[in-house]
Amino acid sequence: MAKKSNKNVYIVALLLLLGGLGYLLFSGLSQNSVYFLNVSEALAMPADELSNIRLFGTVADSGIEGGPGQMGVSFHLLDKNGGERFIPVRYTGVVPDTFKPGVEVIVEGGLEPASGVFGARTLMTKCPSKYQKQRDEERAAQG
Amino acid sequence: MHLFAHFCLLAAFTVSIALAGLSLYMAWTGRRTASAWSERGQLAVFALIVAASAVLTRALVARDFSFQYVAQYTDTFLPMFYTLTAFWAGQAGSFLFWALSIAACGVFYASTDHYRRLSPETRVWFWLFHSGVQAFFLYILTGPSNPFLELSPAPAQGNGLNPLLQNPGMIFHPPLLFIGYAAFTVPCCLALASWLNGEREEWLPCGRRWVLFAWMFLTAGIILGAWWSYMELGWGGYWAWDPVENSSLIPWLSATAFVHTAIIQSRRNSLHRINVFFIALTFLLCIFATYVVRSGVIDSLHAFGRSELGAPLMFFMLAGLFVALVVTFSNRAADARPLDELTSRPGLLFMAAWLFLALALVVFLGTMWPVISSMWSAKPVGLEPAFYNRVCLPLFALIAVFLVFCPWLGWKGGLRDKRMFIAVCACLVPAAAFLWFFGVKHPVALVGAVSAVVGIAGIVGLFATQKGMVGNGSMWAAYGVHVGLLLMTLGVAFSGPYKVEAEAVLNPGQSMRIGAYDVRYLDNREITTPAMACYEVRLAVTRDGKPVGELTPQRRAYRNNDNVFAEVSVIPGLGDEIYATLVGSTREGQASLKLSINPLVNWIWIGGTLMTLFPLLAFVRRKA
Repeated sequence: MAKKSNKNVYIVALLLLLGGLGYLLFSGLSQNSVYFLNVSEALAMPADELSNIRLFGTVADSGIEGGPGQMGVSFHLLDKNGGERFIPVRYTGVVPDTFKPGVEVIVEGGLEPASGVFGARTLMTKCPSKYQKQRDEERAAQG
Repeated sequence: MHLFAHFCLLAAFTVSIALAGLSLYMAWTGRRTASAWSERGQLAVFALIVAASAVLTRALVARDFSFQYVAQYTDTFLPMFYTLTAFWAGQAGSFLFWALSIAACGVFYASTDHYRRLSPETRVWFWLFHSGVQAFFLYILTGPSNPFLELSPAPAQGNGLNPLLQNPGMIFHPPLLFIGYAAFTVPCCLALASWLNGEREEWLPCGRRWVLFAWMFLTAGIILGAWWSYMELGWGGYWAWDPVENSSLIPWLSATAFVHTAIIQSRRNSLHRINVFFIALTFLLCIFATYVVRSGVIDSLHAFGRSELGAPLMFFMLAGLFVALVVTFSNRAADARPLDELTSRPGLLFMAAWLFLALALVVFLGTMWPVISSMWSAKPVGLEPAFYNRVCLPLFALIAVFLVFCPWLGWKGGLRDKRMFIAVCACLVPAAAFLWFFGVKHPVALVGAVSAVVGIAGIVGLFATQKGMVGNGSMWAAYGVHVGLLLMTLGVAFSGPYKVEAEAVLNPGQSMRIGAYDVRYLDNREITTPAMACYEVRLAVTRDGKPVGELTPQRRAYRNNDNVFAEVSVIPGLGDEIYATLVGSTREGQASLKLSINPLVNWIWIGGTLMTLFPLLAFVRRKA
């Protein structure tokens, strides 16, 4: 019957789609996945595993060279959950407007094993979005 | 007033719970009299939420900073227009807006002819689901996310609205999304109620129109969001595959899949169960989107912060999924007829639905990957935007390819018009050669661009040669959306891989070159208004010595905000768009500039506008 042959064609088409999708997913997951780490987690890992990671942290008050409106900035990245230890970061592109001490940033790039400096390809400050409660928390912390 | 508004919401919550309980009791005992009560109750809930919303609006207009919400999102310098839009700028306010929209949709649906024709049993089930959803939102508003918290003593000045949100794109983006999300509630409850009651067909025509309505708003919201990030964030991009962006795309994709499988059901009387499940899935994915954005489960570029909303949203989602699955499999009615041939119009529509679902799955997986990977890895692993481009763009290109062939296939297989079909296919090769010759060598971009060009030509040909197309509103609606999508495909295929960027530091009088354009720094000036101080540089753009236009990127310092914000300037064009951001400046007038040439980027906005406007024709025709 036509019904059966139709069904088989659909099964073949579905398998082809799933195969293609599986291949794309597999290659994407193996090549485009990066560790999402906090500073403390990154410091706990061997340096050779940190060649391509996304790092979350807070900009330290001291050690900033360059800044918003300029090309490039060097700064110390603290763990956003507190603590003293930091990773020095160097970034050469355009620095976002919202970059300043104490702000949460995300950097993508890798650690240069020789110097121990994190070379950032991208620097993103967290979008100070409408839903944030950060300002209140900051005030509470200061108050 | 705080107490009054809070009381209104509490009362609305209680009424919703009572209505859901009443409906459940009636459904359980098989009586049919609950719906009249439910309609009145729904009206009362709507009136109570309107009253609460009025209190918030009044507080915003009066800038009454004793409302914590008003103090958080406005200040006295904010123009009235933006002050009003602060209604949905914050978490609690946006939930109130969403709940208001859900209640309004319920009241509106209860007044339609379609509702009056429903069987009494279906009505009881419908109100059970609808009141349940409504009660959940009112629980959020009276508990974890209360817009009516009092601040005492009231501060003299508010925090002010984030300057990034002071842009027309951002004013309309959130309410459009929320109206879209809210409008999925009615068709979802209707489909589940109808299906639970053993009906297969009755809900579909009306449900499909509701989905189309919601889809239109969701599309408009997403495209405006992309346009806002392009114009306001100053990075020249429109889509970064950030979790927050992805989360609204996922229900859009599943709704799009539904729109296609619903056509198969209405034309070919099959896929009933799949449609019920898709619509329930779409509604739940809207809740999922909110969960991703508000729960802080994923580190996103957007600092949405952790809130107490994660657990209730998660619980509601899982409970909803359980109900949806039970209801979907409760009706034993088998599909009336088997699927058509794969190479027929329903066949390709069905496959298109697969593709949309596959895309939804990929975006879902990618977004949740840091959470999923933490199951076996101590360190969360996330995915770069390159992942999405690698996996999603080929699927989108395949959808564009479908759009070239699908219109020419018959509903029962075979071709509608053999000569035209051959003509369309014959266009593919020269179009590909032409684009290749002009430098489109990226394979996915080439497939997408060729499909877009030939697909649009094909649709024009379809209307020119096929009888009955020109006078058919729903055909215009469907193909208008497809032309919009193809134009967007064209825009993405060029503006993505063929964008040219340059950064430079210039003194007045100096020039730089980007692509085929020369950019000369003319002069600068300062503009001061009560709300902000603004520094502007003027750039003259020429191509081969001929003037193209002037760019005036700015940096703005808003009162009440520590940061300085870049305001981009563009010379719009249907071919190249020249885009400039003033990154920084010195007292001596030296300017750090970031420029880019974005080819065909405006076709994304033009295509997007068509996609949001053409569905209207489907409604016009039905009323006539």
